[in-house]
Amino acid sequence: MDLMNALNLSTAGMKAQGTRLRVIAENLANTDSTAASPGDLPYRRKVVLFANSLDKALGINTVNVKKVDVDRSDFQRKFDPGHPSADSEGYVLMPNVNGLVESMDMREAQRSYEANLGVIDATRTMLTKTIDLLRN
Amino acid sequence: MDLNRLGIFKLMSDKMAWDNQRQEVLAQNVSNSDTPSYQAQDLVPFDFKHQLREAGHLDLVSTDPAHLSASSTGVGGFRSAKDRTAYETSPTGNAVVLEDQMTKIGQNAIDFQALTNLYRKQIGMLKMALGKGSG
Repeated sequence: MDLMNALNLSTAGMKAQGTRLRVIAENLANTDSTAASPGDLPYRRKVVLFANSLDKALGINTVNVKKVDVDRSDFQRKFDPGHPSADSEGYVLMPNVNGLVESMDMREAQRSYEANLGVIDATRTMLTKTIDLLRN
Repeated sequence: MDLNRLGIFKLMSDKMAWDNQRQEVLAQNVSNSDTPSYQAQDLVPFDFKHQLREAGHLDLVSTDPAHLSASSTGVGGFRSAKDRTAYETSPTGNAVVLEDQMTKIGQNAIDFQALTNLYRKQIGMLKMALGKGSG
């Protein structure tokens, strides 16, 4: 049934955005996760990749997280000679996580999540109206 | 009695099937609002004239399950097409404008509600004609 499929699609969308929020939380929590010793690399920012693929059980194309990949941009360098992982010049590699980027990403995920919720709301109203046809 | 043999009921249930299918297509668009290189889709508009002509048609009777169906439209058989009127495309190639999609969903839900009300009204009128009250 189409309306049930619509509900399933929106649920898949919400799940995908939920995963994205989890990854954003992970990034934000690791803003200061440096390496334990000099030469090692600190935490690398993660990004989610979405794809529209066929759900064989439902027979429809649903959105899902294809892969959680890493951001390959450069690490920031901070001067902190006393740090355990500081190199010979006193610099420490910091994770490539930018709080501003993460919070914008989080806002976007939140909006998409709300949009999916809105669709569920509209679909549910349509379903209820259909069922109400029986009551007369 | 099969209500779908009355033209108006056939038309209304066709339009409801169209709205149902459109809701699925729109839900897919919204859930893919962050998928790279995804293009929004929409159903080909419901053509009242075309459906009216279809409603007046006499279909071949199939007396055996092996008989091919002669009707060109059925539930869930509406065509969808890529929406080429997208207002903007993001750098990732995603062409879903969430605002547009939400407006369409609202519109769809209102259309559907109007139809269910019409349907109820028609049933009420039939009942009234049968002398059971409830107009």
